[in-house]
Amino acid sequence: MTNSLGLREGIGTRAASFNEREMQICTVARMVEDGKTYWVAGGGSPMYAALLGIRLYAPSAQYITEDGVIAPEPMLPFEPVMTMVSSRAGYRALAWGTMNTAGNHAQVGLMDYGILNTLQVDQHGNINSTAIGEYGSGARRFGGPGGADSIAALCWRTILMTDQEKRKFVERVDFISSPGFLDGTEGARERVGLPPDTGPFRVVTPCAMYDYGDPVAHRKLRLVARAPWVSVDDVLEECEFLPVVADDVAVLDSPTEEELEILRTELDPRGQNTGERGTWVIYDADSGEYTRAG
Amino acid sequence: MNVIAEGKAPYLAVDPDGFRAHVREHKQRALTPRLMTAAEAVSRYVAEGDYFAYDCNYFQRGPSTLIREVIRQQKKDLWLCGKFTYVDIGLLAGAGCASKVDCGFFWPGAAVDNRVKDGRLEVYEYSNIVMTLRLQAGAMGLPFLPVRSFGGTDGFEHSGCKLVEDPYTGKPITIVPALNPDVSIIHVQQADVFGNARVFGTGISHEDCALASKKVIVSAEEIVDTEEIRRDPGRTSIPYYAVDAVVHAPMGAWPGNCGGYYGSDTPAVIEAFGAISRDAVEAYVEKYVTPFASDAEMFEKLVGAERLAKLRENETIKDGYRA
Repeated sequence: MTNSLGLREGIGTRAASFNEREMQICTVARMVEDGKTYWVAGGGSPMYAALLGIRLYAPSAQYITEDGVIAPEPMLPFEPVMTMVSSRAGYRALAWGTMNTAGNHAQVGLMDYGILNTLQVDQHGNINSTAIGEYGSGARRFGGPGGADSIAALCWRTILMTDQEKRKFVERVDFISSPGFLDGTEGARERVGLPPDTGPFRVVTPCAMYDYGDPVAHRKLRLVARAPWVSVDDVLEECEFLPVVADDVAVLDSPTEEELEILRTELDPRGQNTGERGTWVIYDADSGEYTRAG
Repeated sequence: MNVIAEGKAPYLAVDPDGFRAHVREHKQRALTPRLMTAAEAVSRYVAEGDYFAYDCNYFQRGPSTLIREVIRQQKKDLWLCGKFTYVDIGLLAGAGCASKVDCGFFWPGAAVDNRVKDGRLEVYEYSNIVMTLRLQAGAMGLPFLPVRSFGGTDGFEHSGCKLVEDPYTGKPITIVPALNPDVSIIHVQQADVFGNARVFGTGISHEDCALASKKVIVSAEEIVDTEEIRRDPGRTSIPYYAVDAVVHAPMGAWPGNCGGYYGSDTPAVIEAFGAISRDAVEAYVEKYVTPFASDAEMFEKLVGAERLAKLRENETIKDGYRA
């Protein structure tokens, strides 16, 4: 069963303790739709969210990666960082190609969703993974867009995963590495050659979810849901800019034991991505209360 | 064609006619053996100031042995093709071999950051797929190709791409300049002595990389008989006439993996990440490169046969790899 945000109820029993990174992954996993294709950024939360979603909620959803792996049944867990061009990651795929395979398949419209992690996002969903500070010798240099630019430009809908921190949620990113709605004006993406009807769909942080208005009226982030242990004001505190706030901000459900079992024992048993990252949250089933540790 | 906007970064000159002339003059169409050592291949085919491409990367079926040889021979002032790369940019820049990079992606860290800040390394901005598309244009003998991404980014401003009016639809479209690297190095699972090469598993841009480059060095886990190539021609990824040198390099992707042959060496992978993060590439090179005449010697004296055997054992998946 899905609600108006496209979120399912989690399968199973609410877990008694989890961290916010796990919350974020489970939230995205519950959005995965049957029969749709996902181009996931290699490694980390986007891939775990897609795998968890396919495993528990949408068995006929498929994913591809930038090295041209199409619909694999990967052998888990991956070796550290070996989420592309590795035999475990590409195991039992339906087809193997190259990077241009992935790009071309997205360019003809075969990719329904992209899932991306990002360093910094702005009010129009633009993504920075290149440099923090004034571009040039004054900036701190990061790795560049990699495949994210193509994912953000070519998939029909893009889901972004990022942290809910003031310095990461900014009015205008220091550098647009991958496109959101650019300056937010109507037709901005099409004017620079990007395919129509594509673009940002949701932003999911460890304690909140945003869309861009429904229908996409503002092309500006709109807070639509929050985790049960934070208030709307708590979330807004951690934004450099003031996003639109939906009239009725929904409350996200917390991870279940079943989700965490798969995440912790099959997908990320070394806790590389989920173990030490993020604040821990305790759930008391008797009182229904959540307590954020630290 | 009406140019609407264009990036301002320097880019390797686009010259498809010059590339054809080079191919006509230098690519060996006769089936002549071109097997040589890594030292000989790098010495002959990598020159100071070259535009330098490598396929995959130091951790994923990449030409790691050849990269270490480039560092050993201290080839300077290379312009790197940074598509889908982890530590390679940091290693080559940190070892003093690179001065420019076209960036799709690289693993960030002090080794790169410090050199960008003080101007020892210039970065021009692209995305992974824009880079592989540039190579595809080069491999097709064309001056450019259009793409429906990259427009509107700040990377575009710092690239050699242009936004033009598509003469067919009248709509704006980004075009990317063809790339014909001076040299590319590619690691494959199998090749014969002529350079007919087989890549098993997915890849980044090995076919285009080979076809687009003036000089091509292929390193291979195994040298196979040409009869084996002829038995299953559909498995040939790169035909011999694109290849200038073939190097027999067992464990040539170490510390990375090589599909069907061995898994990655996790502690050594983490060590390489660490060298980039702490800008300690010099110490890394002093440990793994300079004390040895070749990778074979490094594997024998430093890594050890037992550890390498374990990595081969770890690679349990064979389906889809090997013929």
